[in-house]
Amino acid sequence: MNDKNIILDIYNKIAEKSPIHAKKLKKNMKHYNDVYFQRSDDFIIKYLKFLNTLGKDIDYSIDCYLKMLDDIIAEDTYFKKFGKYSSSSFEEVNNRVYGNPNIMEYYMHGLLISQFLWKQHYQIYNYFIENIKEYSNSTNSYLEIGAGHGLYLSEAVKILDKNAIIDVVDISESSINLAKNLINNDRINFTLANIFDFNSNKKYDFITMGEVLEHVENPLSLLLKLNELLNKNGTLYITAPTNAPTIDHIYLFKNINEIKSLLNKAGFKIEKDIYFYAEDLPEEMAEKMEIALMYGAFLKKI
Amino acid sequence: MEQIDIINKLNNIFREVMDNEDIVITPESSANDIEEWDSLTHVQLIIAIEKSFNIRFKSSEIRNWKNVGEMIEAIQNKF
Ligand SMILES: C[S@@+](CC[C@H](N)C(=O)[O-])C[C@H]1O[C@@H](n2cnc3c(N)ncnc32)[C@H](O)[C@@H]1O
Repeated sequence: MNDKNIILDIYNKIAEKSPIHAKKLKKNMKHYNDVYFQRSDDFIIKYLKFLNTLGKDIDYSIDCYLKMLDDIIAEDTYFKKFGKYSSSSFEEVNNRVYGNPNIMEYYMHGLLISQFLWKQHYQIYNYFIENIKEYSNSTNSYLEIGAGHGLYLSEAVKILDKNAIIDVVDISESSINLAKNLINNDRINFTLANIFDFNSNKKYDFITMGEVLEHVENPLSLLLKLNELLNKNGTLYITAPTNAPTIDHIYLFKNINEIKSLLNKAGFKIEKDIYFYAEDLPEEMAEKMEIALMYGAFLKKI
Repeated sequence: MEQIDIINKLNNIFREVMDNEDIVITPESSANDIEEWDSLTHVQLIIAIEKSFNIRFKSSEIRNWKNVGEMIEAIQNKF
């Protein structure tokens, strides 16, 4: 880190607007190394150019991020009071969030910069970057479900063979527009659809699904659908949080074992996995306080 | 409810949530003045305030509270 790092401007601006939240960000910074600062600056430079084409600047993004946080505080309050997420049906969330451009727009910009501001988001993104390389040679067809802002997708595009097919399915038009324009690469095929309605006559060598499992009423049926879409020797990369209330989470995973046993039930075995807590706390305490955690895994068919 | 009554009640809530008997809040107090006031205790504060004042905030009402004064205002608006 040096004081010229652009990401630090973002930290400072957030600290001005939300000193409460800034404390957490500052505390988590000790988990980051030089690669983090280089990567986030590279991202921000690209992102600023993109914002510019929309006639927007970084203050717009920070406001998006803070709005998203306000929603999360409200959801977290509900979660702590009632021990569950506030939404229980897909229909409800689809109307309130995915199909609502006003919300979806600030949500996806907020979520995008959270990939560099939240410890668990950056760490799981880093985990993906570090490991995806080894699958590039064996991947001729790549599918991403719920690409959202498209950050994972932008990494996959970098390392996949130039002839590999790249398909994306997302239920939200706002997400697709953001990912499409941010990445700006004609070789990606975007499909606007609910994954449950997506049918393909081809099977994929690699499927990525980041933070979608907790967005459905029946995560097992979603995993079975992925199993169908995946080649016999294919790989699935999946991430899902536990105890993470947001406006569009439906299915509450209380701990990692619940996720793992579901993966197993759907016919997957874990090749590699990892988890990161959202707060810089001793693990025992984080578990007891039900601090949000991000789980990520590379999986094969059993 | 008078501001002074709210602030007294709030002060007790802050002390309880932060587990620190020495906290003295004023409308100007922010997270920069109260060390324990972070994103974790913030949610506990909201829950304790709702319970103690018997009110329920909408998400739009807890937006961007930067100091105790803004908190008091949000509580006052509920009465
Ligand atoms: C929380 S975002 C995740 C973004 C990104 N993959 C990541 O990990 O940060 C969830 C995305 O999944 C999409 N999504 C949610 N439910 C879906 C469904 N049933 N079918 C397709 N896409 C869905 C949403 O529109 C949104 O873009």
